[in-house]
Amino acid sequence: MRLFTWTTTAYFYITFCLSLLTTTFASDGATSQEAAQDFFSRHAGPENGSNHTNNWAVLVCSSRYWFNYRHMANALGMYRTVKRLGIPDSNIILMLADDVACNTRNKFPGTVFSNQGRHLDLYGENIEVDYRGYEVTVENFIRVLTGRMDASVPRSKRLLTDDRSNIFVYMTGHGGNEFLKFQDNEEISAFDIADAFEQMWQKKRYNEIFFMVDTCQANTMFSKIYSPNVLATGSSELGENSYSYENDADVGVAVIDTFTHYNLEFMEGINKTSQLTMQDLFNTYSFEKIKSTPGVHSDLFTRPLDRTLITDFFGGVARAELIDENAIVEHTSGPTTDVDEAELARSEDIPLPDILADTKNSATSGRRSSSPGLMKQLRAWCPVAVIGVLATWIVMSR
Amino acid sequence: MDKSHCGSRNPLELSFESPFLRRCILAAYWLLILLAVPAWWRTTSIERLSLPTSQVLKQAKREIEFPLEIHLSSSVNGVDTGALARELERTLEHRLSRRLSVIPHGPEDIFVSSETGSYWVKLTQDVRQSTIENEILLHPWDIHDPIASSALTNSLAALLSPYTEQAHAEEREHVVSKYAPRFRIAFTLLNEDAASGRSALSWDIREALKYNILPVLKRLETLHNFTVESQVQYHAPLAFTPTTVSVDGTDVYGLTPEDLTVFVNSAEWTLSSGVTNDPVLHFLMFIPSASRRPLHILNDAGMPTGSHSFILPQWGGVVIHNPPFETEDNFYLSASQLDHVSSIFRLQLLSLLGVPRLPSGVKSTSSLSRWQIDALLRRRAQENVREAQQTLESIVKLVEQIENMPVGQDVKQDVEDALAALDQAFEAAALSPKLAFDHSARALTLASRAFFNPGMLALLYFPPEHRVAVYTPLFASATVPLVVAVVREVVAWRKQRKAAALNN
Repeated sequence: MRLFTWTTTAYFYITFCLSLLTTTFASDGATSQEAAQDFFSRHAGPENGSNHTNNWAVLVCSSRYWFNYRHMANALGMYRTVKRLGIPDSNIILMLADDVACNTRNKFPGTVFSNQGRHLDLYGENIEVDYRGYEVTVENFIRVLTGRMDASVPRSKRLLTDDRSNIFVYMTGHGGNEFLKFQDNEEISAFDIADAFEQMWQKKRYNEIFFMVDTCQANTMFSKIYSPNVLATGSSELGENSYSYENDADVGVAVIDTFTHYNLEFMEGINKTSQLTMQDLFNTYSFEKIKSTPGVHSDLFTRPLDRTLITDFFGGVARAELIDENAIVEHTSGPTTDVDEAELARSEDIPLPDILADTKNSATSGRRSSSPGLMKQLRAWCPVAVIGVLATWIVMSR
Repeated sequence: MDKSHCGSRNPLELSFESPFLRRCILAAYWLLILLAVPAWWRTTSIERLSLPTSQVLKQAKREIEFPLEIHLSSSVNGVDTGALARELERTLEHRLSRRLSVIPHGPEDIFVSSETGSYWVKLTQDVRQSTIENEILLHPWDIHDPIASSALTNSLAALLSPYTEQAHAEEREHVVSKYAPRFRIAFTLLNEDAASGRSALSWDIREALKYNILPVLKRLETLHNFTVESQVQYHAPLAFTPTTVSVDGTDVYGLTPEDLTVFVNSAEWTLSSGVTNDPVLHFLMFIPSASRRPLHILNDAGMPTGSHSFILPQWGGVVIHNPPFETEDNFYLSASQLDHVSSIFRLQLLSLLGVPRLPSGVKSTSSLSRWQIDALLRRRAQENVREAQQTLESIVKLVEQIENMPVGQDVKQDVEDALAALDQAFEAAALSPKLAFDHSARALTLASRAFFNPGMLALLYFPPEHRVAVYTPLFASATVPLVVAVVREVVAWRKQRKAAALNN
């Protein structure tokens, strides 16, 4: 009996040491970076500008249960915003546990509020949840992104994008270093998301992606992405928590997270034809307000941020083409909301703004050691080593 | 030792306890583990069948080429068709940077076949403008005109390769929808506010479509399969308020260029038809509320333009219809009243489907000539082939890149079939654009099906330390006693042998 206790103690000690060792190596990793740069140089160019003709949004709240009210409110707040700015319900995939509005503990049944004093009911109007309750799984999320679905899945659950689609992907929930928890049951890792985006890029399922994560250590979630034309932002750095913004005394729990709150607050000032850019949004981020360090990852994004409109991701369509009814032969070139190509080309060499500098650093520090295969092998052999160490130790101690 | 003390018997003296028996039991355990290893290996490994990688990579480099043949005949006296044919061939090859042949013929031996990529041109003095009649391009020829041949070259170049030739080709490119085997076409009559009166309560869209849309769909059914639906809505508010401008002293309402981009109020207009996964092309006829008429589209300077319709790229088209000013009551739109609107719808539909327009200066007696359909077929075939090649290439690349992505038998089969279909498309290109297109569409469908196979979902990534944490509690407790027992046995056996050697 004593021996057994000793064994378990030793085992935990050793695994702990090993995991410490491996995590230090892990934070050292991403050959993907080089692969991305390689790929990137082939696909870069102004023609990858805002050529999109349709907008999509994938909004994921990966938590359930009453005390995670705020995550539901986060996702619903984003839902309301993208819908207000013109993305139709058919182009929004909302994944939500959806168990707070009608929770027995909810004093205000059928409502979800995102602010103290309950001014705005996010649930009130027309909510179309595409993946509800236990359907919110890692597998379903990856299937939505990659499009690998059973033939029987209805249109409303599919991301029917093409190479002219701009996609806004928003995730919120509880997470940690390089993972996000799904309903206390499973996890999605940063690698899975990076691979899913790569598969989308390969099948030309997007023109540009804006990836936003609000969770603890959120910036680690986008650190592994290596596909081009992905702009990412997160609420907090490695080792930092993301905090909720405020409680409502009558609801009894926190109603929204800080990062999402300030994003939504900025979005409230935007209408469908707004000319504000992503840079304007990122300029509003600060540690004082958000209580954590938000990150912006724009290395993979070709266009300058101060020319990327908010509505490129949150809005409806980009342009309309007038038809000349009298001559009926030629189109007159229609009004467009995007910048002209020549201007884009010129702006290529504008130095990247300050806020990007620190993300660049964090990205380079995430470079993997020169022989990742060997490392992987070593780590895979760990269990054998553990058992060996234990066995020797027991034999020797007799 | 006293054997009556059952509780503390010396195990060495148990009747069944002997070194041999003990070792046998231990060996049995190990044997079981060793035997189970292959089964464990088999059940936990992912099925990854090998894909025809080299074939895919070889296939990806090929480009589809359509041979073009132009037959030239002339009913004009004094035209040297032989010399003209040589000149045309040279200039067109240079201009389109592709191989083609121009074959001179006598004035009477015209024979039009509908399959192959051959086209007839007849020089004549009977027409005043280039006309396509019965698929023959009748070109007016003035023997004294020194630049007559360059006009003909221009027309031919624009007809044969409309996508590279037309000005602003790039600009128009993004309007065209991606190829899909099936399209849904939805016509919607939207009354901004029927309650305000003087609104259109119904329309005879069925009859209107008969004249303008259905013949076009009929011609295009070699490319797509169409489903047509229509609806009427009585309350379709705009999400913004149109600006008021004063024209000649009267106030009219206007949509600024920015307004057009957000014109469709997708949140409140239920337009989408969620029945199928096929792409939908929407055509909206918008009737402004009685209190906001007339509604015009403004140009950048804020003045009304003559146009009342626009295209939303890859999405559909919108026509704004202002009923006549003297309308007093709610009304019904008859087919003849819809004629103008449906001809605009046709124009929008053709643009969205990528049907090339006739070059300026050329008219056609039929609604769509074979020159146009073939150009579209060639373009779509080329697109599909490229898309299929890229999809196959990316499957191979991803399977190589993502180690735990399964590849099943159905994926392998689809990839092989897609390769075969591509081969057929390349072969058929010489025979007929239609056939090549059919094969290319099949190749694309198969390649996409292989890519989107639900079984291709990669297993989730787990860092090795997670695996350690999961597996060790399961296996360490079982394997440690076994390993230790073996070590003890070996030690005991060696001790025994040493003792035996000493005794000897």
